[in-house]
Amino acid sequence: MTEPSPSSCALPFTDTKPVGHADFYFAVNATFRFILNRFGIEKLKDYWRDIGANYYRPVTKQWMSGGLPAVADYWRTFFKAEPGAEVDVQEMTNEVRVEVKVCPLIQHLRKHGREVVPCFCQHCYFVSETIAAPAGLTVRVDGGNGRCVQRFVKVDAGVPAQNLEDIATAL
Amino acid sequence: MIGCYDFCGHYEWTFEWLNRLGGHELVKAYWDEAIHRDSQIHASKLIREKGFEGMKEYWGPTLADEGAVYERTVTEDVFRIDMHECPSKGFLLRNGLEQYSDYCDHCMGWIGPLIADAGFVIDHEHNHCGQCWWEMRRKSDATPASEAGEISGKHDVRLRPDWKSPHTDHYERATDPDDKTAAS
Repeated sequence: MTEPSPSSCALPFTDTKPVGHADFYFAVNATFRFILNRFGIEKLKDYWRDIGANYYRPVTKQWMSGGLPAVADYWRTFFKAEPGAEVDVQEMTNEVRVEVKVCPLIQHLRKHGREVVPCFCQHCYFVSETIAAPAGLTVRVDGGNGRCVQRFVKVDAGVPAQNLEDIATAL
Repeated sequence: MIGCYDFCGHYEWTFEWLNRLGGHELVKAYWDEAIHRDSQIHASKLIREKGFEGMKEYWGPTLADEGAVYERTVTEDVFRIDMHECPSKGFLLRNGLEQYSDYCDHCMGWIGPLIADAGFVIDHEHNHCGQCWWEMRRKSDATPASEAGEISGKHDVRLRPDWKSPHTDHYERATDPDDKTAAS
């Protein structure tokens, strides 16, 4: 039996199939490499921030109006539609904690012997931070290279700044 | 995380981001270098090494996984696809996403150089409504594109009542996204 597509109220853009096509992860990795090789890391960070601020603007709006429950709902629904993901999402008083036990992207790239862009996992921080900031949230990523913990924390909780060295190099 | 579920949405958004950064030539370079020569290197290898058989091996599982509604017709001399519901353009239309001037160009943008490297040429039309057709032939074969229904019979997308659109792009023995003309 076909599973229903992800809830349209949690994801801003929906498809007719329940889960995405994993080979598109090749293109995400290749896009990062193209920008990095041609323009350097600062332009790649610009790309991540711009996609967060523009393409993902509807997600920001959901988080602004729905707060932490909307953040938790988004990530639960998001990862259900990503093939091979194993993720635990917890909503707490001041934050939503997303524990990525199996990153579907890294897993698929490795399975197919693709060379992963070393700074690949930083995109989760830069994209999500840009989505989250207007909603009064800040993001911290710890780990990477296949598994990590991503925290979406209320800004007034006063967490220390993200240390990019806490984000693992992808291999 | 940037996911694959809504890939076509951020892929299309990226075309316009690159266009603003470096213009049309940068977008073309992206399709060739990042998509053809990096992301789709598996397709490149299959088609270079196996020709029509490689096209079958690549597009069969890929279009099925993407959720395409299409018909494939293969003879000794031609590999033809009739795309009745493009999953990629369909996603954009359903979600009202349009940042870049012509999303459909991306297919010729990466498939064109790949097919050229493998020794083939392409006849192709897309109507910007989620329907298109492709015919790949060996470069040495001067046979023109088929007439509607000639190769794929009733499955020919050109026989659909909604095929004709005010804005259909036409390619003849092409391998470059800039080779297009308006269909007559």
